[in-house]
Amino acid sequence: MELKIYHMYPDLLNLYGDLGNVTCLRQRCQWRGIDVEVVGFSMNHEVPLDEGDLFFIGGGSDRGQNIVYSHLLKYTRMMGDLIEDGAPVLAICGGYQLLGEKYIDADGNDVPGLGIFDYHTRSEEGRLIGNIIIENSLGLNPETLVGFENHGGRTYHDHQALGKVKVGYGNNGQDSEEGMVYQNCIGTYLHGPLLPKNPHLADYLILKALERKYGLKELSSLDDQPEYAAHEKVLKLYSP
Amino acid sequence: MGFKISYSKFRYYSAVTAGKIVSFVLRKILKSSASAAPGKVAMTIYPDILRVVNDRCQKKIIITGTNGKTTTNNLLTHILTREYPSVLSNLRGANMPQGLVSAFLHDRKKEYDWGVFEVDEGSFERVTEHLKPDYVLVTNFFRDQLDRYGEIEKAFQDILESLESLDTTLILNADDPLVSNFRKLHKRNIYYGVTQNQYSSCQQGIVESRFCPACSSYLDYDYYNYGQLGGYQCPDCGFSNPDYDYQITEINYQDHQYHYQFKNKNQNMQDITFAYEGIYNAYNCCAALSTALEVGLPLDKVAHSIEEFEYHLGRMENFQFPGKIVKIALVKNPIGLSETISSIFLDEREKSMLFVLNDNPADGKDVSWIWDAEVEKMNNIKNINHIYCSGRRAEDIALRLKYAGVPVELVEVDDKMDNAIEKLLNEDVEIAYLLPTYTAVFQARELVLARLEGSGKKMSHIREYLKNLKFPGR
Repeated sequence: MELKIYHMYPDLLNLYGDLGNVTCLRQRCQWRGIDVEVVGFSMNHEVPLDEGDLFFIGGGSDRGQNIVYSHLLKYTRMMGDLIEDGAPVLAICGGYQLLGEKYIDADGNDVPGLGIFDYHTRSEEGRLIGNIIIENSLGLNPETLVGFENHGGRTYHDHQALGKVKVGYGNNGQDSEEGMVYQNCIGTYLHGPLLPKNPHLADYLILKALERKYGLKELSSLDDQPEYAAHEKVLKLYSP
Repeated sequence: MGFKISYSKFRYYSAVTAGKIVSFVLRKILKSSASAAPGKVAMTIYPDILRVVNDRCQKKIIITGTNGKTTTNNLLTHILTREYPSVLSNLRGANMPQGLVSAFLHDRKKEYDWGVFEVDEGSFERVTEHLKPDYVLVTNFFRDQLDRYGEIEKAFQDILESLESLDTTLILNADDPLVSNFRKLHKRNIYYGVTQNQYSSCQQGIVESRFCPACSSYLDYDYYNYGQLGGYQCPDCGFSNPDYDYQITEINYQDHQYHYQFKNKNQNMQDITFAYEGIYNAYNCCAALSTALEVGLPLDKVAHSIEEFEYHLGRMENFQFPGKIVKIALVKNPIGLSETISSIFLDEREKSMLFVLNDNPADGKDVSWIWDAEVEKMNNIKNINHIYCSGRRAEDIALRLKYAGVPVELVEVDDKMDNAIEKLLNEDVEIAYLLPTYTAVFQARELVLARLEGSGKKMSHIREYLKNLKFPGR
């Protein structure tokens, strides 16, 4: 078995340890004997998108995000088809915002997004920063997902949320919802990075990729003691 | 008018007294090394107190940037102190306005020959409102504490804007494109740097800004020395390293010491030995040397002072125990951690290590930066017995090591720092490396010292708890 993990714009979208998510996916595959190739996709390295089995899009600075937007625009349709077909995608922060219709900046100007989804993000006063704990809507065990959020934009949508906010702000700091799920595409504000401390979510994405490619129904288990120790520590320090 | 003056004086003296009392309570009763709190109290009573500091220093130097501020500040102050009787400096690394004021309260004089201050990137604007520097030294810009700044671009944009109105000479790291871009302010610019040497590489895992600060094209690099510091040029607009006024041209590592060849403006060469590891210290050393020469000190004397320099603040500081050396190195951001790991790689002695990862506000509440560091380089280090992980987020650093491919059986988590240090010191090794984050460094140092002196053996957990609660230093 072999998986191709596409790391989208590793040179432009990589904030707050996002790289750790790719490291985590790669390692967890390798520990199970699954061959992995991590493919960097960027301005100077365009490779066929439809060969990817699992996609990761990280967060970036405003400048980085603008460069990515104008480049990725021509792949919008292909990206949309992949998502519709059930390819797992993890999009964090800036990557999450990018998949939506538009970003309304601090001056009220519309900055277009790829428009794969119909949601929008608005820049509002003050950044939402801090440790975040949510209860996932994917039915994963344990129920909690932990991370660190740091975003100025507020996202508003009617899709299924990734989870309910227990501690922190989430999508917009108002409706207690965090992230978005459509098919196997997950958008979220959880950095941290998200996957190493939430191995149940990492395995969910890996399994979805293997299911799509090989019809696999189950993953072998790993010793996740260090992963859950770090997960538990966040709960211990920051639960109400 | 007369009333006003005496009222102002009254406020000033009240501020000084209150600051002194806070300092006394912290130092003597709580045995704390908090260095910002006295200044904070004094500034609440007399907000203009930084202006008093400004007026009392004849000449002022501000050091800012992400990494190397504290080392460069200590080194430069050490050099200047040998030539001038009174130099005021915030040597302990408390680098927000209150930290500068604390340093002044601690050593209050009517007049100083020099004021040398390290100033946090986020505080640069607030400090320079009151304190007008003759020289501003900018070291580098890396990602650090993004939970405070949001993005790296913001930190240097703020400094750039504050610099515009200042009448000052800029001493700039020519090898950092983000720093050398300050040339566009058209101040009097002095450039320092480190040329390509045997430790330079052609590849770099962490590059903060691959894009030309002048025109946003992809920058070409001939070599990297440290992060995005290296030899760069822009194929589109020609933006490249400016000519050096001062430079280190050769670096050799021998007997756990670094040997540099330094060249001044007149192309005079000087050999310099520096006891502190890492390419980042070559930059720190070059920055301090360049500034000292720029203010008019002679090269041979400055070189001699540098060789005599000894660090006491947990930045690659050495402690000699029976049978082993304990070395403390502060790690607080991705590039610093990557570079520290690279320099430990050169040390082939039998060793154990202890990481202390805290997430207090002064460390940055977001510990995700450990994933941006090249921890994978740990696998190249020879002769590691054990790696202990401690601090509030001990489990996070242990997890990072696991995903870096470090064998889990080498790693042990103990989130009580006191216990972890005890274990580290009991290791049968030649050298023990202790790598704490900012809020752990002074405490770790005190715990090591207490054992070295054989007194006080162990700090009680109550005191450790109190220390974690107290005012952050930055």
